[in-house]
Amino acid sequence: MDEAIARYPSDHRRSAAMPLLHLWQEHFGFVSEEALVWIAEKLCLQPINILELVTFYPMFRDKPAGRTHIRVCRTLSCAMAGGFELMENLFTTLGIQRPPAGDGMHNPIRISADGDYSVEFVECLASCGTAPVCMIGEQLYENVDVNLIAGLLRNQTSNIKHQTSPHLLERRLIFKNIGRPDWTTDIDCYLRDGGYEQLKQALTLSRADIVNKVKNSGLRGRGGAGFSCGLKWSFIKPDEKRPVYLICNADESEPGTFKDRYIIHEDPHQLLEGILISCYALNARTAYIYIRGEFPAGAKILGRAIEEARTHNFLGKNILGSGFDAEVYIHRGAGAYICGEETGLIESLEGKRGYPRIKPPYFPAVLGLYMCPTIVNNVETLCHIRHIIAMGGAEYARLGRPNNTGTRILCVSGDVQRPGYFEIEVGAVTMGQLIYEMAGGLRPGRKLKAVIPGGSSAKVLRADERFKLKQKQSDGSTIEREMSIDEIPMDFDSLTAAGSMAGSGGVIVLDDSRDMVWVLNNINKFYAHESCGQCTPCREGSLWMQKITDRMLRGGGVVEDPKALKTIGDNIAGRTICAFGEACAWPTQSFVEKFPEEFAARAKKPVPPPLPPEYTPEELIEKEEIPTVPMAHDPGWEKAGAKGTI
Amino acid sequence: MADQTPFPQLLNVQIDGVWHQFPKGTRVIEACEQAGSYVPRYCYHKKLTSPGNCRMCLIEMGFPRLGPDRKPELGTDGKPIINWIPRPQISCAQDVSEGMAVRTNSPLVKECQRGVMEFLLINHPLDCPICDQAGECRLQEFSVDYGDSKSRFLENKVKKPKNVQIGTRVTLDDERCILCSRCIRFCQEIAHDDVLGFVDRGSYTVLTAHAGKALENNYSLNTVDICPVGALTSTDFRFKMRVWFLKETKSICTSCATGCNTVIGSREDVIYRQTPRENDHVNSCWMCDYGRLNFKYLEAENRLLEPQIRFEGKLVPADWPTAIAQAALQLKQFAGSEIAIIASGRMTSEELWLTSQLVTSLGVQWIDIVPRRGHGDKILLSKDRNPNTNGTRLILGSKSEPGAKLIGIADAVRSGQIKALVILKENAMHLGLPVEQLAQLPGLIVMNTLPNDVTEKATVVLPACGFAEKRGSMINGKGRLQRLNRAVRPPGNARDDWEILHDLLQATGGGDSLSSVDDVFRRISETVPQFVGLTLSKLGDLGVHILAIEELPPMHPSDGEAIEEAIAIQARRRGVRPASA
Repeated sequence: MDEAIARYPSDHRRSAAMPLLHLWQEHFGFVSEEALVWIAEKLCLQPINILELVTFYPMFRDKPAGRTHIRVCRTLSCAMAGGFELMENLFTTLGIQRPPAGDGMHNPIRISADGDYSVEFVECLASCGTAPVCMIGEQLYENVDVNLIAGLLRNQTSNIKHQTSPHLLERRLIFKNIGRPDWTTDIDCYLRDGGYEQLKQALTLSRADIVNKVKNSGLRGRGGAGFSCGLKWSFIKPDEKRPVYLICNADESEPGTFKDRYIIHEDPHQLLEGILISCYALNARTAYIYIRGEFPAGAKILGRAIEEARTHNFLGKNILGSGFDAEVYIHRGAGAYICGEETGLIESLEGKRGYPRIKPPYFPAVLGLYMCPTIVNNVETLCHIRHIIAMGGAEYARLGRPNNTGTRILCVSGDVQRPGYFEIEVGAVTMGQLIYEMAGGLRPGRKLKAVIPGGSSAKVLRADERFKLKQKQSDGSTIEREMSIDEIPMDFDSLTAAGSMAGSGGVIVLDDSRDMVWVLNNINKFYAHESCGQCTPCREGSLWMQKITDRMLRGGGVVEDPKALKTIGDNIAGRTICAFGEACAWPTQSFVEKFPEEFAARAKKPVPPPLPPEYTPEELIEKEEIPTVPMAHDPGWEKAGAKGTI
Repeated sequence: MADQTPFPQLLNVQIDGVWHQFPKGTRVIEACEQAGSYVPRYCYHKKLTSPGNCRMCLIEMGFPRLGPDRKPELGTDGKPIINWIPRPQISCAQDVSEGMAVRTNSPLVKECQRGVMEFLLINHPLDCPICDQAGECRLQEFSVDYGDSKSRFLENKVKKPKNVQIGTRVTLDDERCILCSRCIRFCQEIAHDDVLGFVDRGSYTVLTAHAGKALENNYSLNTVDICPVGALTSTDFRFKMRVWFLKETKSICTSCATGCNTVIGSREDVIYRQTPRENDHVNSCWMCDYGRLNFKYLEAENRLLEPQIRFEGKLVPADWPTAIAQAALQLKQFAGSEIAIIASGRMTSEELWLTSQLVTSLGVQWIDIVPRRGHGDKILLSKDRNPNTNGTRLILGSKSEPGAKLIGIADAVRSGQIKALVILKENAMHLGLPVEQLAQLPGLIVMNTLPNDVTEKATVVLPACGFAEKRGSMINGKGRLQRLNRAVRPPGNARDDWEILHDLLQATGGGDSLSSVDDVFRRISETVPQFVGLTLSKLGDLGVHILAIEELPPMHPSDGEAIEEAIAIQARRRGVRPASA
């Protein structure tokens, strides 16, 4: 425990709250009242400070689970692949009572009568390409056969179909070693492959040199926003007096995205090298890897990689005789999507609830971790740094397209025959090539209905839409071209021009068997569950939208619902503290706009007047006829009488 | 460089099309309010940090368009052309900057306000008829101003805990809470008692305290004041009175030397609550629970209601002229050296001045007050629990420490030298003498609101007023002269203290023509230099600083911090001195 506390500056012991909670729960199975008080005392805090955390992060539980705890992914790609059937079959096989209907904050943990097993729905486990997935204890089970529960419980290894050889359209840079049969995570393997050469090279360069290389490379962040990495780095003043922190955002949790998982689990040293080069470039003596709580194996692999790198003096004091010191620590999250937002992450790392900060004034590069300048970069982004050093900024910038440079990893999941990850030169592949050639196309007899191109928060694209895209020609001029969804190049600017975004690179494919209200409801549930609850529009709006789509699905839709959904989204987007507002509003706005016929079909009942009578949502669902009484200000009131219907 | 001048730099800011000037460091939301464009807000409180979470203060914001020379481009009116930020911005977390422009009532802003109002109300119980906040609820007010009359919410509301005793004095209704976090920030930043927090997540987020540590600090009721809705209510006040029936009287708290500015809420001569009133020279926006609730004694069943005199060994009711005459008769029997007066640091300056006249008139040599010292908390509660110790020093002209002469008086009573004892608003038991000894005094004149052990042994009992029943002034621990105002009339035949003292003074032959407490104050201003040029009315609602640092009483060694603080305040006052002061 003291070791966990020592990872943080001595005047910021609070940061150790989550590590201590993890340790306590690993040892005792749950976080008791006693734990709250004990940990609070250990960190000079109040018990309420710890209670705030335990109730915010769903991975912490205040009651014991079963001896074997099973987490089933509930989110879109898994749900489409049978996540709910898997849960249902688990209930039946294990004889666990289903939870009563009704709403609540977290998905409840249900325990078998003998206490041997417990099951819990969790949000996206970031393995959408191998859906459906579940975690039994700390072990991930992929491509689960929902009808073979007995085999699953007997610890049968999962049915992983590793993508061994890259597709012809791929350009592997970051994922060069992912899926290689001869590849291991230990440092010797990495060194044999030329590992840490770029770190050695970087240490001979000046800091400004490296920052310039990154600027010249045109690298844009791979976490979702696509912000220029070099520009972000240049916000750190070269003569900065305060400590500078680098944070690696390994809280991958945007539904549909699962690229960082493979880097962390299969090529940890590549990430570490990228982090160390970046530390040197930014003069950051401390880096934290904020890894999502659902990657316990990944955290262990990275921990071992750090120790291996230390024995080779790639980190620690006086790295390779350069005089530069850097430490890298791992900080585990605990099941909160919002901690992928950089300022939410920083708050979480400070031992608080992951409430994003207002900007201004809290721009991380100025007032970040512990109110010091901080750079937060995504896992994939940091890996690119190594390759930029190897290739040089200008050479790297030749990959991809202008303003959309380099390679990026696209994660394809949903209704395709070969879901998985594909690393491409940005923009070198079209949506059609990605879906039909790389991901094997749709299942036999199925037609493409829609694509969510950049993680579930990206606006949906309809298959029969025509898109007008301005494209830059090599001579600098732009022409506008109308195209089908298949022709859209997979790069930042094209997807933005098509009305969506490249986001985190998670491409979710929906075929014509999908009910778009059901899909949106699944997405809405995710965002309602993950809203941190700090600011009003997102806190209230995300759950409201979910409740509406819930009611529509269950037959209680009223004619005003599609309009209500749209306007609720409008009232959230752009008015919240962080980009989660857009993330939760965009799906609703775009689904309702692009598929009006499907929403109208589920919204046929009349709108009940507010008084009297009032209808509960349950009544709206159950009753075929909704008798309504005109309101008092309605001129037809007296004629219609108390039994009138609209 | 500009920062070193006493006057802060002024910045040009455009608000709703009109250019204004504001000092550097002004919050945008405050600037808008000063310019007459009030921006609604829930989470923002000017004395607390800004989390920006309620999103009610969204406005449109823009900055001057810069030309190639990095200088603002000017329009035909010679004013900068504004580049407007497409997204609405919160106005509570940014200071104004040169050339900034804001729109507080554009269609986008109104749409934002309407949206936030709708979101806040969908899960809010519509229990306004039984909610104590009704009438002073921001949610209610802004519903009218910025909301919609219709609801389109067809779902079940989120259920949360209700009627939670979150501390002995504060009741919480989580369903009403809009999660603005003002109370949490108050406890962390002002009360230094990190006891409240949010648990759970999203729309299910709930305000709570840990089961092992309730909201018990001495400032807990301030959370009720700053709660913009009916989530936190005062357990003492709730369900007692609709707030719109309350008569509001500006006054000051008399429970310690800080003299927090207050509003007394009363109806038909009954006080229902006391709340703090903002005064940055004294108490900011806060007051302690101890002072706030220290008004119940005015309603005590055993209040002294009738003048009484001792007749055939028994106290019997008398009318005022009789009681005053009796008291004067008893006092005139004795020489000044045979009379002692125990006055009180709880008396107003006017009462003290009349007491000093009585001392002069009778030639009294023994006079002192009863000191009251307790723990100070370095927030507001002073170690000196007398509200007007400085008044006693200044007006009674006492050179010694308060209470230093009490032992001498006790000895004199014990030796029989003192024949008459006048006890003004104090308990004579503080002399440390057995009550039997006091009972043997030929003259034991008691003026008070409540009886104590000595009252029933008195020869004359004069029922007086409590702090909320009278007008007058007091000088707080930092030398600020502030005014008490009458909120309620005294019960029974109790009379205003100054009138009693004035009548007694006249009856003993020392009187003159004073017809109101303002007259008394005027007489003080003619004799006490620090009062020169002032009248009771001129003190205003916020009082006037009248004691320079060197005039403040000698401090105890442990009061070092208080001295430093007082010096700092003095320096600040001298540094940026408004013309009127």
